[in-house]
Amino acid sequence: MKDNLLAEEIETYEKHKSELLKEHSGEYVLIRGNEVVNTFESQKDAIKIGIEKFGNTPFLVKKILEVDEKQNFTSNLIKISAPCLR
Amino acid sequence: MPSVTIGPGDLNLQEDGPLVEVLFLISSELEERYRKEKKEIPEPVVVKALIDTGASMCLIQEDIPKKLGLEPVGTTKICTPSSKDHACYQYFMRMAIPSHNLTYHGVFIASPLQGQEIDCLIGRDLLKDGILIYLGNANQFTLSLL
Repeated sequence: MKDNLLAEEIETYEKHKSELLKEHSGEYVLIRGNEVVNTFESQKDAIKIGIEKFGNTPFLVKKILEVDEKQNFTSNLIKISAPCLR
Repeated sequence: MPSVTIGPGDLNLQEDGPLVEVLFLISSELEERYRKEKKEIPEPVVVKALIDTGASMCLIQEDIPKKLGLEPVGTTKICTPSSKDHACYQYFMRMAIPSHNLTYHGVFIASPLQGQEIDCLIGRDLLKDGILIYLGNANQFTLSLL
């Protein structure tokens, strides 16, 4: 079983969340490891900078919100029997 | 505006839904980087996609990013008819229908999909940049992207 590839980045986000919410609520934050790289207006801009800086390695682009948005699906084609994050 | 029209032949719209064959590739940005680094560009992955207005975001079979050798750019929780708050990785990828000059760069959620050989659900995040025309009585649909 692989470890959660973005565990460190998610931990970094949680650590900085309250200060990010004060100035950048609704924006997207780019995080690599324990570093908050920058914030962006658009998700795609954040990802493009992430690719530029870090190439094809795990990094986190996350929307800065008090409560994370969830994605909803009505399809029965999605078959979840085990965690996707390993 | 690039668009693709499927039907009326080779399609049973009521039975199968709006299905379209698409290619998944690494993003243009990553491809450019690979070319500079003289790395091999992964071959595109061809899949059958269902346009699903009941999907808030695009979702792909979880082995597609693996086939392209991609690393995640995020995580999100999904809710389905049989599960709640299930965490999944997200990947930035390029989806294309080259024959119709259609290309979409976006974030795709990776999850197991099973049944009907469908490996992608095209969701409302992609559709917000496009127009979907569903002509049931003509057994035909058109997807256009800005």
